[in-house]
Amino acid sequence: MSNESQKKYWTSLAEKEGSSSDENVSPQGGESFSISRRRFLEAAGFTFSLAAFSGCGRAPSETALPFTNQPEGVVPGRNMSYATTCAGCPANCGILATVRDGRPLKMEGLPEHPVSRGGLCAVGQASPLELYDSHRLTHPLMNGEESNWDEVDSAIAKSLEEIADTGGAVRFVTSTITSPTLQASIDGFLQRFPDSRHVMFDALSSSAILDAHRQTHGIRVLPHYKFEQAKVIVSFGADFLGTWISPVEFTAAWRTHRIPTASHPEMSHHIQLEGRMSLTGSNADKRYRISPDDYGSLLTLLYNELASTADQPPIDSESGQGSPDVDIPALADRLWNARGESLVVSDCQDVAVQCVVNAINQLLGNYGKTIDIERPSRQRQGNDRDLLELIEELQAGKVAAMFVAGSDLTHNLPLHDELAEAIRGVDLVVSFADRNNDFGSLANFVCPDHHALESWIDSEPIDGVVSLTQPMLQPLGGTRSILESLARWSGRNDSSYEILRSHWQQSIFPRSNGASFPQFWDQTLHDGIVTVKSNPRAIEEFRFDAIQPLSESARGDFCLTLYHKIGLTDSRHAHNPWLQELPDPITKVTWDNYVCISPATAEALGVTNGDMVRVATASGDYQLELPALLQAGQHDKVLAIALAYGVKGTDRFANVGPDWLEAIPTVAEGELVGKNAAGFIETTEDSLRYNRADVTLEKVQGHRELATTQEHHSSNVPPSVAPHGAEVRESIQETSLAAFSQDSSAGTPEVHHHSDVQLWPEDHPKAGHRWGMAIDLNACTGCSACLIACQSENNVPVVGQDEVRRQREMHWIRIDRYYSGDGGEVEVAHQPMMCQHCDNAPCETVCPVLATVHNEEGLNEQVYNRCVGTRYCANNCPYKVRRFNWFEYPRDDTLQNLALNPDVTVRSRGVMEKCSMCVQRINEGKIEAKSRNEPLADGQIQTACQQSCPAQAIVFGDMNDSKSAISTALKNPRRYGLLEEFNFRPSVSYQRLVRNNDGEIEGDEHV
Amino acid sequence: MSDSTASLRPALITGEKSLADVTNDICAPMERKPTGLWWVAFSISATALLVGIAAVWYQIATGIGTWGLNKTVGWGFDITNFVFWVGIGHAGTLISAVLFLFRQKWRTAVNRSAEAMTLFAVMCAGIFPLIHMGRTWLAYWMVPYPNTRGSLWLNFKSPLLWDVFAISTYLIISAVFWYVGLVPDLATIRDRTRPGPRKRIFSILSLGWDGSARTWHRYETVYMLLAGLATPLVFSVHTIVSMDFATSVIPGWHTTIFPPYFVAGAIFSGLAMVLTLMIIARKVMNLEDYVTPKHIERMCQLMLSMGCIVGFAYGTEFFMAAYSGNPYEQFVFKNRALGPFSWAYWTMVCCNVVIPQLLWFRRVRTSLAAVFVIAILVNVGMWFERFVIIVTSLHRDFLPSSWAHYVPSLIEIATFVGSFGLFFTCFLVFCRIAPAIAIAEVKGAADLKGRKISQTVSEEQAA
Repeated sequence: MSNESQKKYWTSLAEKEGSSSDENVSPQGGESFSISRRRFLEAAGFTFSLAAFSGCGRAPSETALPFTNQPEGVVPGRNMSYATTCAGCPANCGILATVRDGRPLKMEGLPEHPVSRGGLCAVGQASPLELYDSHRLTHPLMNGEESNWDEVDSAIAKSLEEIADTGGAVRFVTSTITSPTLQASIDGFLQRFPDSRHVMFDALSSSAILDAHRQTHGIRVLPHYKFEQAKVIVSFGADFLGTWISPVEFTAAWRTHRIPTASHPEMSHHIQLEGRMSLTGSNADKRYRISPDDYGSLLTLLYNELASTADQPPIDSESGQGSPDVDIPALADRLWNARGESLVVSDCQDVAVQCVVNAINQLLGNYGKTIDIERPSRQRQGNDRDLLELIEELQAGKVAAMFVAGSDLTHNLPLHDELAEAIRGVDLVVSFADRNNDFGSLANFVCPDHHALESWIDSEPIDGVVSLTQPMLQPLGGTRSILESLARWSGRNDSSYEILRSHWQQSIFPRSNGASFPQFWDQTLHDGIVTVKSNPRAIEEFRFDAIQPLSESARGDFCLTLYHKIGLTDSRHAHNPWLQELPDPITKVTWDNYVCISPATAEALGVTNGDMVRVATASGDYQLELPALLQAGQHDKVLAIALAYGVKGTDRFANVGPDWLEAIPTVAEGELVGKNAAGFIETTEDSLRYNRADVTLEKVQGHRELATTQEHHSSNVPPSVAPHGAEVRESIQETSLAAFSQDSSAGTPEVHHHSDVQLWPEDHPKAGHRWGMAIDLNACTGCSACLIACQSENNVPVVGQDEVRRQREMHWIRIDRYYSGDGGEVEVAHQPMMCQHCDNAPCETVCPVLATVHNEEGLNEQVYNRCVGTRYCANNCPYKVRRFNWFEYPRDDTLQNLALNPDVTVRSRGVMEKCSMCVQRINEGKIEAKSRNEPLADGQIQTACQQSCPAQAIVFGDMNDSKSAISTALKNPRRYGLLEEFNFRPSVSYQRLVRNNDGEIEGDEHV
Repeated sequence: MSDSTASLRPALITGEKSLADVTNDICAPMERKPTGLWWVAFSISATALLVGIAAVWYQIATGIGTWGLNKTVGWGFDITNFVFWVGIGHAGTLISAVLFLFRQKWRTAVNRSAEAMTLFAVMCAGIFPLIHMGRTWLAYWMVPYPNTRGSLWLNFKSPLLWDVFAISTYLIISAVFWYVGLVPDLATIRDRTRPGPRKRIFSILSLGWDGSARTWHRYETVYMLLAGLATPLVFSVHTIVSMDFATSVIPGWHTTIFPPYFVAGAIFSGLAMVLTLMIIARKVMNLEDYVTPKHIERMCQLMLSMGCIVGFAYGTEFFMAAYSGNPYEQFVFKNRALGPFSWAYWTMVCCNVVIPQLLWFRRVRTSLAAVFVIAILVNVGMWFERFVIIVTSLHRDFLPSSWAHYVPSLIEIATFVGSFGLFFTCFLVFCRIAPAIAIAEVKGAADLKGRKISQTVSEEQAA
């Protein structure tokens, strides 16, 4: 080909007529096409040889198989959401499970759920990891050996037949069952046996509340507490925002009256009286440090004060004068003025004390208003008297068969060894646990139940509020639903779906107003929840004669409080590494339990954080050595130890973190994560008590460094290095309600060098979306649900105890917790902290390779591929929210990897990462809106942390949209930006904390 | 003429050396078998180097987590060592280039080893930014070269990128300057060597040097030009290194005083290192006549003045923090002096400000033992200066919730030791293969005691 034979392409008329110079010839023609034979051979030779070289490596062979039959509605790579129910605890919050390609990935709160109202706690958020747990049983066990269902079924059926014939005692022991279908199945199963009983117990029992209601109202129920109706809340030790009964529900309800506005500067008044520092106490307006053994006398005094106002006879009280710190008449006054809008609760396990609580609420007219027993809660049904009776029967050898479902029976009860010995004497012991747990090792048969995300089941957490649990995927192993197991042993072959559906048709549907059952069923399945008529109940008149003077209990040096941490509300969750690594909202410690000691007591004893101490009962029959943790705000006489540690099998986490030269295993050889403190649970004739006043404390040899995510606990800088006049850091801005009602901008620091100078205001137009976030410190309780939501959404790795000790946890969002006060009486502030997406981001200017850049929507983006890992951005981040991949974190558990979100890159070692404001969700929302050809609606995109927040403390949206929720939040007079005076221009802003306590504690001393 | 100057100034070279003596003395260490002392020094250095290589290898294979850094303290030993070594290098350039331009003849005795020191120190320094990257294997991304990654380019706002330019420029200029200065001496060695591979190598390295007037003229011109090029680097390189900190927002880093403060500190530490090395080398290599107490004293005077500037900078920082009214800034400096790392701060102040004041006394300046100890302490102090700036500023910054402590890991310490291993191994090898003192230059400073130059030249040829 020569140039002459080429066509001339032209791009404009002018060009055609004007010139034919070479630069105007379009690329299709021209010289590049004239290839000589020699050039061609050269190029071809080069190409072929390259191709030959590139073929030397063997690519892994992968098969991508399409669906033979495309399931309805399933589009590969697209998320589907299904309504279901959380089984993390009996609170049974609603879940909207995100499922992609047949695997559930992310649990969101179900916004329409009347109980949880769209929130979901850390435990619920972490449930996918429990589903994809490679240590779950995949087959039944017979005498500890792997077996199959046929063998197990025939063996169990055979012994059941014998027991039925001989009339042996059959005991079915479960933790609280809210499922009407399962309850019916158990009842039906037990019918065959003349001597049979269903015993319910709870890992942390509230049995005394139910027993007290039997005494005062003639009916054993757990009332449904309505914190949203309460203007004055008095809690004696009940950690209702953290772990007590139904924390997500209570948090959402509590929040209702916690947000003062300029036009309505009103808030509820929350008084917490407690021994240990609980999450709830940390959020109270007024917190009194009271030893739990003083609850009774204080409540008696409070009752008598109210009774005198209400002209009721007082209770004779010989016991103590209460605590001099608590102004009982003022408290009574405040409650009396809020009659019908107040609420007194307690976690005390003394039935007599709970009766006093009931009487106080009765005097205040709270029944029917803030306390509902017409439609009671079913979230705690454990009956300690039944349980203790069962233990006696076991020890007497009267039980022939024993079935245990739910929480681990032996792990959660005291006198472990005696109990285990007694259980070994039972002929037939069946466990339904998903693993060979502590009880399972005593059982003849372990018949593993499905995970909740694999099951058909239902639940009725509040009477008349019934929800369905539907399977999100085929069972991963050879487990079998407990419904099916019970049916098999009763000689039926129904599937769990059939059992559930038929029970609903018979029992639930008649309680609804629905027209046809199929329609009712489909609608409920779609919504996940339905409200039906409650069961009729005979509630008697309040019996004041049930109130008895309280007996004095034995007192020792210290009062021990046993509690649950927010992530580990049951020993079942101890196998979840996310929850183990969740910093406790108060202590900020991960991967361990310890003895919380007040700083004054620790000083007197000469111990500091991590020093080993021995806690023993006065009788000396039980003792435990654990590291000490100095807990500000704790009563000097109170010790606190978390339960649900020392769980069998948690030695699996020995190598959960990176393995390197100086690495210390998370779990030492022959040990477990933490130690089980259940041996301290005190048993009386009618209850299990978690507070016991007869323990001793001594220092022992040894030190164990606790893995805490926060080293400095106060917003006060240490006095020795504090500059004059700047002893307190202004990260938390707060004011009192009194000041706020005078001036809604009260609490703004006096000297605030706010700079608004912009170098380039003109050439950076901020059109389009501009993402921002606002966090209300008044709503945030510090519950840390957001933390796990973020971990689940963004594939945040687990790093293990040693790495946390080295201050290298990877969480993208953290909750900063600051104390103010003197270490005794303290006030607490929680502040969620994540990447602030600064407009003038200090991280962006210093990255040499542009791996962190600002996008046009105001997000600070981290480009993992480009990052070379100089860490300068992290150094220069004033909020210290950037996280570096110090190692290639182990991801060897391929089953666990199924919980990874495919929308988010799994980061390799050596790169920086941080909060992306869920950029994958932003993009998904934008694409979705675009494909529907609609503008993006406010609230369409929710970040993971925002979605999960039970208190709805987080608002996210487009700051350029003047009508959006975020724009409204930014106009809030309580709004402030952290370190705003440096002109970083953060896109995240906070709303000032308002305490309804008239500024009683001044935070000017260092903790 | 020499007689008259001799009465005015004491001779720079003692021992009544002829030109041939100079050549013989300086070339001697290269031409005889290494001494036992050399072998001892070399095996210690090489062991340290191997330890360092193993540590770096392990770190690159396993991750930065093998260092003691954490979410708050992102730089520790790595950048401390980097700044320390860059600083060490500065005295070499100062001595060889700046003092050359000022016609300070006494420099001739020390300039060669100072230049070599610069070169090796910059090599040690350059390693740390490389290995401190999470993904070292992508270090070439820091270089602006045409690539196929779309419009992806570098961030010219980042001081780390300026570092890349500054350090690489410094390395190149230092190496060229050192090499050009070596050429006449390499030719001398060539001429002294019997034919064989060694002679061939030195022939190539000496670039056909023929000692003609024209060659000398060209040489002098190039050398002066290079000195002129290197001089601004003395100031620019550490200015840019200081901007790694000064351009950030972290209290304790965000300080405009940093450039002059860092340059003074760099020269201070470099002089201390030159002194340390020369005091050893003159003893070990029998060069007492060339590196005389006079030289040592001059360098002590320079070191004292630099120490005072550094001390003044420390004071200024505190004054500015107090005067600024910025509570974060005030806190950082109070925390430096009284916080958990106060031991490091007071070590720094003692070594850099207090102890060098002894150099006001002539008796101290002329006591080799005292100077040696002070030089070592200044080296220690200057290392701690960088540690204090980097770690104490980072470990407690804005939000108290993220405050953290920093403890170096074994791997980090081994890497630090390894950098000394590299430095001393290079230096010891250098002493064996090239003249440790610039033969040609020192001859210019030699006092020939009235003998004719031709006489000494003929002596030299005879030798």
